Amino acid sequence: MRFLKQILCLAAVILGVFAVRGQEERPLRPVLSAYGVELGTSHLADTYLTPLHYNGWHAGLSYERMQAMAFNPEAWIMQLSARVNFDRAQNPARNAAMLNLEAEAAWTMMRRWRAPFGAPETLSLGIGPGTSLRGGVLYLNRNGNNPAAAKGAWTLNANAFAAYNLRIGKLPVTLRYEVMLPVTGVFFAPEYGQLYYEIWLGERDGLAQMAWWGNYFRIDNRVSADLRLGGTTLRVGYHNDIISTKAHDIVSRRITHSFSFAVVTEWTSLSSRKKQQSDEARIISALY
Amino acid sequence: MLTALTALSLVFSSCHEIEEYPNTTVGNFEQLWQLFDEHYCFFREKGVDWDAVHDKYAPRAAACQSERELFSVCSDMIGELRDGHVNLSSWFDTYYYRAWWSDYPQNYDARIVRENYLYFKYDQVGSVSFAILPDNIGYVRIPSFESGLGESNMDAILSKMRLCHGIIIDVRDNGGGAMTNAETIARRFMTKKTLAYSIMHKNGKGHDDFSKPYDVYFAPPKGHLSWSRPVALLTNRSTFSAANVFTAVMKQLPNVTVIGAKTGGGGGMPLSFEIRDGWGVRMSAAPILDANGVCTENGIEPTEGFAVDITPADIAAGRDPILDTAINLLLK
Repeated sequence: MRFLKQILCLAAVILGVFAVRGQEERPLRPVLSAYGVELGTSHLADTYLTPLHYNGWHAGLSYERMQAMAFNPEAWIMQLSARVNFDRAQNPARNAAMLNLEAEAAWTMMRRWRAPFGAPETLSLGIGPGTSLRGGVLYLNRNGNNPAAAKGAWTLNANAFAAYNLRIGKLPVTLRYEVMLPVTGVFFAPEYGQLYYEIWLGERDGLAQMAWWGNYFRIDNRVSADLRLGGTTLRVGYHNDIISTKAHDIVSRRITHSFSFAVVTEWTSLSSRKKQQSDEARIISALY
Repeated sequence: MLTALTALSLVFSSCHEIEEYPNTTVGNFEQLWQLFDEHYCFFREKGVDWDAVHDKYAPRAAACQSERELFSVCSDMIGELRDGHVNLSSWFDTYYYRAWWSDYPQNYDARIVRENYLYFKYDQVGSVSFAILPDNIGYVRIPSFESGLGESNMDAILSKMRLCHGIIIDVRDNGGGAMTNAETIARRFMTKKTLAYSIMHKNGKGHDDFSKPYDVYFAPPKGHLSWSRPVALLTNRSTFSAANVFTAVMKQLPNVTVIGAKTGGGGGMPLSFEIRDGWGVRMSAAPILDANGVCTENGIEPTEGFAVDITPADIAAGRDPILDTAINLLLK
């Protein structure tokens, strides 16, 4: 009986703590949504299709969503991104074209530290794990039985960023450098001379390769400046994506350099079922 | 940090080197030789010492003064492979190895068949024409596997032949196409799931680096007509590539007799590449073996006792002895 009383007391204390916490005003965690386009140059190579290097242009559409995480919004942020890339490149003789179409989705969670340099300037540093899923196809119009090379990878990534908030005149500006580096994962890799016809027939052994830096190296660098023009933010930047794989003696490479433009909106969802936040509620942005 | 990452990317990208060649006569020659050295699959079957071929042609390539001269030297070099699937394509010419059929009697005259046997009365679905000959023997002409037949097309053909004693399938001058189209037809002549052929691919750059043969089975399609009565399959030297494999698949069936001449081969699925100056290259890269594990590159012999040629006198007389042999066989 005495033990039961102790259990009930402990439960009451725990419930009480949660009740008090529930009464604390939760900070607002606005969502940063960026809708972007990018244009630039592309370098493509894939020895399954050709031993030559192709050069041309790159275009992409992107979506990025960032938000401070609910369980510890000051310290943790979440980033969700999706993109579609299209490249068209020509061989050195300019008599054949290679096309690349691919899509990618990535999710990242980063621990951040903020160092105030004296308001309004702040420096944020973040690092954390992420995962991404990428799929696409390279198509070379001059080939017969090997006109295409499929691409697919699921990777676990290391991500990092540095963001610096400052003002240029009256304009708030956020400068950011961000890098994504896959560490491991799995990727699709047919054998050296394997026909996709054979894969279609059912010969599928060894198509999935464990990824490590020796056979799957990728680094995705971005530098951007967010110009916060009132309610809307204009993001301009530079994006460099390098991916190089080597499996079964097939080397595949894609390097893009592009200028990017995005419109960024910051919004908060308010639920009628939840307690209305007061005007003094703290706002914790994922980036600004 | 950026510097470190850039250095890191350079280190790892350099591990994934792609050998580059200068756009010179020697550079293009060397790249072409290297492509064949790493991807071509029949050096052993052809008995070709590819290093010796390099030594034979490299001095000629180095002495070339023009693109056309280099093309001629490169064509001579890859001609040593004696392979109908080997091509070199430039903006001014395309090289083909033609001796696999040009050195042999043609053994087929379409006009004679249509005029003297079909009397210009035949049905056609896609590129396939078919008719019932006198004496109630079906005749199906398949000129190519480039375009496919649907299952309903095959049903239409077999339905028309349903009362025939036997069927003649004529794949003379059929230069091949897609294996899937050959399969659509071949499996109609099977009564059970059958090992059709095996396929291998290069799994490394060495001349003997091959994967294990992967067995491919054909099965009769459910809910469609199939044929188990006698079949005569007519072949000539221009029966090539997918038609060559089709012949190998059909020959093993107990009710099929192959009549005519040995097929032209082409038993390696070709892959395409290119060299620095933009010339396209095609070569056999994935060997196909028949159901007994024998490479099909050197062609398929007719059934023993059924090797038949057409002479100029036959043509002058408007006769097709290969077709006559098939008719006589099916009338027995």
